[in-house]
Formats: sequence, C-alpha cells, structure tokens
Amino acid sequence: MARNAVILAGGQCKWGVREAHLVDLFQEAAKACFNDIPTLKPKDVDGLIVASSYAGRCSFQVNTAPVIAERVGVKPTSICTRCDTLCAGGSTGIILATGLVQAGAADIVMVAGGEKLYTPQKWEVFYSELASVDHDWDGVHGMGLPPPFFALTAQEHMMHYGSTKEQLAAVSVANYNYAATNPVAQMQKNLTLEEAMNAPVVVPPLTLYDCCPITDGAAVCIITTDEIARKFTDRPLVYIRGTAQVCLNSVSANFPGAHLADWMHTKMAGEKAYARAKVGPGDIKVAQTHDCFSISEVIEVEELGFCKKGEGGDFCGSKQIEIGGKVPVNTDGGLLACGHPFGATGIRQGIEVMKQLQGRARHQVKDADIALTHNLSGANAEHTILIYGREPVK
Amino acid sequence: MAVLGIPILEDLYPSTMDMWPLEAKEFNRNWQFYENLKQGRLTTTKCKGCGLVSYPPRVICPECYSEDLEYVDLPKKGKVIVFSEEVKGVPLGFQSPLIHAVIDLGVDPARRVLSRIVNCAAGTLKRGDEVQLAVFEVPALPIDKGKLGTVMSERVFFAFEPVKK
Ligand SMILES: [Zn+2]
Repeated sequence: MARNAVILAGGQCKWGVREAHLVDLFQEAAKACFNDIPTLKPKDVDGLIVASSYAGRCSFQVNTAPVIAERVGVKPTSICTRCDTLCAGGSTGIILATGLVQAGAADIVMVAGGEKLYTPQKWEVFYSELASVDHDWDGVHGMGLPPPFFALTAQEHMMHYGSTKEQLAAVSVANYNYAATNPVAQMQKNLTLEEAMNAPVVVPPLTLYDCCPITDGAAVCIITTDEIARKFTDRPLVYIRGTAQVCLNSVSANFPGAHLADWMHTKMAGEKAYARAKVGPGDIKVAQTHDCFSISEVIEVEELGFCKKGEGGDFCGSKQIEIGGKVPVNTDGGLLACGHPFGATGIRQGIEVMKQLQGRARHQVKDADIALTHNLSGANAEHTILIYGREPVK
Repeated sequence: MAVLGIPILEDLYPSTMDMWPLEAKEFNRNWQFYENLKQGRLTTTKCKGCGLVSYPPRVICPECYSEDLEYVDLPKKGKVIVFSEEVKGVPLGFQSPLIHAVIDLGVDPARRVLSRIVNCAAGTLKRGDEVQLAVFEVPALPIDKGKLGTVMSERVFFAFEPVKK
C-alpha cells in the first residue's frame, strides 16, 4: 500500500540581483523553510534533491547535491542527488521526492532549487543560455535566449486565434500586481495597462513586461508522508495528488503542435495529471503556471482546460486570472514578477499553492481545495504538472 | 590572446565556451552533415531499414534502432511561415538584426524548421517570402594532436537568406 505524500513546509530567499554565491542562496532558503516549520530540524531530513541547472556553467560546480547538503546542514541517508530539467527542475524534484516517500524509500526529503545567474561579467549568462536549448541545432541559431522563440509563439497565437497585445499586457499587469506586496519577489511594484502597453520593445510583439527577468535565488520545501507530517504540524495537510511530465521533442523543428501556439504536449501532461489526481480542470481553484512570457500564460490556461483552445487571450484579458476570477493564476506574482531562478521556480510554485490550500496565502483564494502547478522547459520541449489537494486521492 | 582574469587560459581553447558544434570527425559521428554543408548541401539521415527520415541527423534510427543510415538531401529553398526580428540587445555572437524564422522546406520532417535569416536588412522580410540556404565559415576547431601539435579543423554552419528578386 503506497503512502500519501504531502508538502509540509517551504521558504525562499529574496530573489533578484543578489550579491551572494550560489551556496549562500541555498542556505538562506533552507533557513526560510525551517522558519516555516520550527518543529522540524535539519537532522530530521533523510533525503535531499537539489535542482540547479546553471551551477555547472555559472558557479563552476557540478555534483551540487553534496555541496548543498553540507552547507544547509543535512546528512542524507536515503537520497542525495541533483536533477537538471532547467525551468522545471524544482517541480521535477518534488515529483521525485513524492515517488520516493510514497514508495517508502525515503521519509523526509528536502527539495532545494536555486541558481546564481548574475556573474561578474554580464555577457556570460546570456552567452551560456545557448546551452538551454539543443546546443548544436537551436542554440547555434541564436535561440538560446528565449524572447525570439516566444515572439514567434505570440505571433502564431495572434494569427490563429486573434489574441491581442492588450491581452498579453493584462497578464503582466495581473502578475505584477500580485507581486507588489511579496517581500521576496524580484519586482515589487504595481503595473498599469498603460505602462505595460508603452514599454520598450524586446522582440515584437513582446515588450519589457511580457518577459520574465534573469534572477538569482533559491527555494526549499519539504516532502514527506501525511503520517510523519502530523508529528510536526497542526496545519491542514497538502497532498500531492497527481503529477505528469511530458517530453516529445528537443529540437524546435520537431515541435509536436501544428504551430508554435498549439501546445498539445501541455494538454497531454494536463490530462495525465488530472487522471492521476482524479480531478478535472473545473476543480482547480488556483494555479501557478509557467509565465516565462505573458503569451505562455495565455496558452497555458487554454491547454490546461481553464477555457477553450484559442480563448486564452479573452480569459486573461477579462480578469479571469485575478482574485474573484474563474481560476486565479500566479497569485504570488509568477515568473514575470517573482523572477525565475530556473531550478527554484517549481518549488516557489509548490510553496504558494501549499499556502493557498492552507488558507494562509497573501492573495488568498476563498475555499481553495485543489491547486495546480505547471512548468515548461527548454525550447518549449517539456511540460511538468503537479496537482495538489487538501485530501489524498481515494 | 589574453583571457581577462584567467591568465593561464592564454592561447587555450575552452570547448565549453564554443557556440558552434564540434563538427570534426574526432568528436562527432555526424561529421558528414558538416562536410555536406561545405559542398552547399543541406542533408539529414534516412534509415535504410524502416525508411524514416530524421532531422537532425542521427547515428541510430530512433524508430527501429538500425545503424544502417544514409544521408539524403533536403530542399535548399523554403518559405517563411512566421519570423521575429531582434534589433536591440542582440546577444554576443550574433549581429543586429537577429532574425529568426520558421521555414517550410516542403518535405517531412522539415516543414517547420527554425533558422536564423542572414543577409537581410531589418524591416524587409515578409511572411511567405522565399528563402534559400546560406552556408558560411565559422572559426576553425583547434584540436590537440599531442606531438603533432594543434591542428585547425575547418568549420562551416548554415542559415537561410532571402532569395534576391
Ligand atoms: Zn529505422
């Protein structure tokens, strides 16, 4: 009989341009995590999964897990490893930890994600992004930095479904306003539609606020079983009900959709996660989706089934992603405003939905009982989804 | 040439910082792709076992796992389906305007190939425009051959360019 996995606690350090080393950021995030659950001590943790993709390039450090274990004061006895799925690394870590605790191969697993991307010379991280996509076939064409790819995606969404620049801007406005009071977000300011519409061009039709920034940061959460969690907390338990990770291609020429705005692999991942969680899109009360670009969130709300395919622009433009809307999305500010230290993002999302389901989020969704997190990674090559709930799957 | 802050790297080649593929036979079993490019041919591999044409080229067929593959030519002309143009903030290694296009080469599996568009002024490309293969030299790969010293292995890469009307 498999055990039930829960997310027990979590925390993150201040995200942004940080005067700190990669291992400093992990230490700060681990402290924030233990502050969230004072009854739990580092010695209680028996497993560690580290999510960091740029440690090798920007910090000259591979085999990161033992390095982080030592710095955060845990001594793993069941698992101590790193996963690298770039933007989905944190979610991948949570999926792996879930499987391990469900199977009884680990009891209390720390999932820690982080990146130090700002190096002493500004060119280096941009240049290293050539490694974020298939190096020899896409990076070599200058597709490492993602704005051109998502500019093409936005154009094809506009061509096929008639979405507008104003609808994209509505996503940025919603997410910035969610983050305005988030003390650990990179961007803590309100944004108006006018500001978003008049921002400097990045790659048309994308302008400044359509794109998430480059971010230093880390986040840490704890995955364990419901029985163990009960020994440490009286808060409502937040179960990991179902997960999915879909990868159908790597090179952009083999993109699985009919065009770049047809994310059939997102839909496939959603259907799989919904089936495993025994819920449907209509049950999701709050979601954190991968808003690396405003257009991403527009397409994600479609493919995840929150609205019909092609109506994501209307959905986001008519405040359905805001508190009081059909499915509030990225309620802590998302990637656009919190920032995006790749391996940490999925953990940040997990922490926000944990707080939502426990009724202690900054922008609380009333009666939230089922929540979803989503990441995309690479040149839109992989989709990762987790569904959390107040009850286990029965 | 001095490397700022790391004097020990003077005149050394770090492949971990190379934006171009390691195309040489010593480092790449798909070296023939690049040799064909030097002849002005855009090619990929076809499986002699099951007939599958893969792009990019492989050393093993992803469908039937046969190792019996041959190089076949892809069309050198295609049509622009959609494109993006980056004028400011172009990353190191590329010139402004940095133009990317999804190109239809008219055959599977090359109906939506993402490529850089070169030899094209900003603001002149249009959807539906015809583009053609453009092969260009990139810096040679310095390979350490022990007692023989360092041998420079010539390299090329490709993009597409507008067909002159
Ligand atoms: Zn075959």
